[in-house]
Amino acid sequence: MHELSIALSIIEVAQDEAVRNYATHVRTVRLRLGSLAGVAKEALRFSYGIACEGTSLEGSQLLIDDTEGTDLEVVALEIE
Amino acid sequence: MSSEPRIVEVRERVLKQNDLLARELRREFRRAGVHVVSLVSSPGSGKTALLEQLLTRLRHSQRVGALVGDLATENDAARLQRSGAPVKQITTGTICHLDAAMVSNALSAWTLREFDIIFIENVGNLVCPSSYDLGENLRMVALSVTEGEDKPLKYPTIFNSADIAVITKMDLASAVEFDLDAAQRNIQTVRPGMNVYPLSAKTGFGMEALLQRLSRWERPARSAG
Repeated sequence: MHELSIALSIIEVAQDEAVRNYATHVRTVRLRLGSLAGVAKEALRFSYGIACEGTSLEGSQLLIDDTEGTDLEVVALEIE
Repeated sequence: MSSEPRIVEVRERVLKQNDLLARELRREFRRAGVHVVSLVSSPGSGKTALLEQLLTRLRHSQRVGALVGDLATENDAARLQRSGAPVKQITTGTICHLDAAMVSNALSAWTLREFDIIFIENVGNLVCPSSYDLGENLRMVALSVTEGEDKPLKYPTIFNSADIAVITKMDLASAVEFDLDAAQRNIQTVRPGMNVYPLSAKTGFGMEALLQRLSRWERPARSAG
């Protein structure tokens, strides 16, 4: 169960990017997730929701594009 | 300052911070001329017994040390210290894997140049450690005969992320009707070409082959100063 650590890393990447773009809130995070990345999607969604609380990502949506391979990458954000 | 919703492209690896730190560690290891070998397996597959033997046997010819990761207790470090080699326990609390930052912190008290080989025993887990680069030069995955021959097929990711595999507790192989050929085949299915070392830390069977493999690394030139 390392999905919480992964969720925290996603939030870190998104927050850095939001700050760089002078945004105050992240509405959506789009993630590429490979079947060999060793990350369980449902566990990640669950952890993500909790980890976002109290951050600029609170209430944000996590969109996951499934891929083959080991991808674990934030592709794009919707910010405001 | 709030503004209209807009989309920004990011394309950044989620574990970029870990990967960057791992790369930095790998550079430091090379500069110091130390070879770092990590060991991953499920809990109870004999990582610590294997490591104890490796440290004891390598100590005569190489300067060895080990970091051991567990959620709690210093038991493994205490056990490995019997080998006489420097050992440091990393307790992760509730975290199910080691990451590059934990390795970096644990090594900060050591002078890397004083070592030839440092082992890192990861937390017993066949899932999570596969995602985290620790900066190691060689990743060794262990499978014990009591776990069954199809473990590599069930946990392909970790076998895929490893460089070599060891099959532990071979002294129990006949008692549990372990099929070594099937295990070898399954490993090759997941990771074609991977070298596999069947051994027993208890009897010493197969240890020599692994020791030779571990001693066979090209020592990088130590940088001056």
